[in-house]
Amino acid sequence: MASIGDRVDVFAASLGRGAVTNLSVLATTDDSPLVSAAQAGDRVAFGRLYEQYARMVHGILMARVPLSEVDDLVQEVFLVALRRLSTLRDLARFGAWLAAIARNRAKDYHRRSVTTVEVTDDGSETETGSGVSGSAGNNEAAVILAAIRSLPDAYREPLILRLVEGMTGPEIAARTGLTPGSVRVNLHRGMQQLREKLGRWRE
Amino acid sequence: MDKDYLWDRSGEADPEIEKLENVLGRLRYNRAAAVFPEIPVRVRKSILARLFQVPWAPAAAVALLVIIIAAVGWLVRPKQVALGPAWNVTKIAGTPRLESKPIHANGGTAKLGLGQTLETDSQSRANIQLDEIGTVEVEPGTRLRVVRMNSELKRLALERGTIHASIWAPPGQFVVDTPSAVAVDLGCAYTLHVDDSGDGLLRTTLGWVGFKLGNREAFIPAGAACRTKPKVGPGAPYFEDASESFRTALFKLDLEGGSAKERNAELTTVLAHARQHDALTLWHLLPRVDQSQRSRIYDRLNALVPAPEGVTREGILRGESKMLDLWWNQLGLGDISSWRHWERSWSPENGVAK
Repeated sequence: MASIGDRVDVFAASLGRGAVTNLSVLATTDDSPLVSAAQAGDRVAFGRLYEQYARMVHGILMARVPLSEVDDLVQEVFLVALRRLSTLRDLARFGAWLAAIARNRAKDYHRRSVTTVEVTDDGSETETGSGVSGSAGNNEAAVILAAIRSLPDAYREPLILRLVEGMTGPEIAARTGLTPGSVRVNLHRGMQQLREKLGRWRE
Repeated sequence: MDKDYLWDRSGEADPEIEKLENVLGRLRYNRAAAVFPEIPVRVRKSILARLFQVPWAPAAAVALLVIIIAAVGWLVRPKQVALGPAWNVTKIAGTPRLESKPIHANGGTAKLGLGQTLETDSQSRANIQLDEIGTVEVEPGTRLRVVRMNSELKRLALERGTIHASIWAPPGQFVVDTPSAVAVDLGCAYTLHVDDSGDGLLRTTLGWVGFKLGNREAFIPAGAACRTKPKVGPGAPYFEDASESFRTALFKLDLEGGSAKERNAELTTVLAHARQHDALTLWHLLPRVDQSQRSRIYDRLNALVPAPEGVTREGILRGESKMLDLWWNQLGLGDISSWRHWERSWSPENGVAK
């Protein structure tokens, strides 16, 4: 699959900013003005939205698709969002709307590519390209990630957003549109199951 | 809230979680955004323009247009205009129907022409303006039809229901057919009711009304009423302040038949309760009873209103109409000649119900 990233330049460079922003300071920010500006054609505003939501999209995809595909799919999700942005009515629900696009894009991925990914009995994946290679640390990350992805759906996403993307529970809730209560419960239950699973693997 | 490192990194860090963060953090997304294409700007099109973006919208719009044109055409279609002269009908309440069509347009008015039918349901009332001769208020549950409409005679057929007629035309110009009698206005206001069985009740509030079926007739002055039955015709009129016993016995005697013995008993009651102005009723009973009963009535009527000169017991017992008319004129209820005049004017030429 050709990488979108290979076909386009770096948007952030044109904005003179870094790729993504530390989400912790943005958890309670109302993004409606940015969304509104982007709907009016303001690409800088859309770039800001990308900065703030790219990790969320990345985490959602990472919970569902092979790691090697995630980065490209992140770009695709934002392209889809850009094309459909004019249809968004409730500007305050941008995060939830974007999360839904990401989840749907992950489903589409699985519908279209059934030969490159095999899911093992324990839920982990055997990937044609793992996307995590090289150092021992990366191998350890791949093992842990596989453990997380073997958990029930409801636990995967919040755990990855928390442990991989570095978002806090309140940030996850604010960005994805989920209730803080459900995010917190899923974080703790998912963490408990992850500990058990990692403990068995270490044994 | 309790310190919860997993939730919001508050409190003492959980070493295992910290380790997971450190290891997995290497996978954190830190890639710059691609150069996105121009953002499709939302053009706020009109609802119509957006509708036409839908593939089937043009066809639907055409269909809708056809429906609208048809609906408008139906609404502004030529109304059921009565040919020739017609009376104005105004809706008072509900939805009266003229020729089965609800009276909605023109502020709830319509034209009622010759041969047309006006009907009110249980919630509807209407008013008919009879040009220069008066008005008829139509109560709920009424069905009537225009039988004749010319300069000499206005005639309705009341099939059922109730009307209030206020007529200021010369006597005899406004006639209402009912299933059991014909009401002839003699310059008056009255209420006429016909129930589903065809039985009728006419109550005069002003002036006079003549009620007739064949040779059976009744003259009903203000304050009096008259019941009528199909195939029998109008009963003897009575003043509405007559006693209950009087009225009950009168109805049985006059309209319900019964054995000779029963009829004699009813007549006894009527005669016993008759007051002077109930002479109206006794006079009407004279031609309707047999000889023996007529004799008893003669005596009571003669006691209440002595027979004038030219009226003899024998003549009354024979049923001579001229003597009856002479006696009528003594009752203080007006001259009967006007009735006879108008009676000739509409019967039989104008087809009074037989």
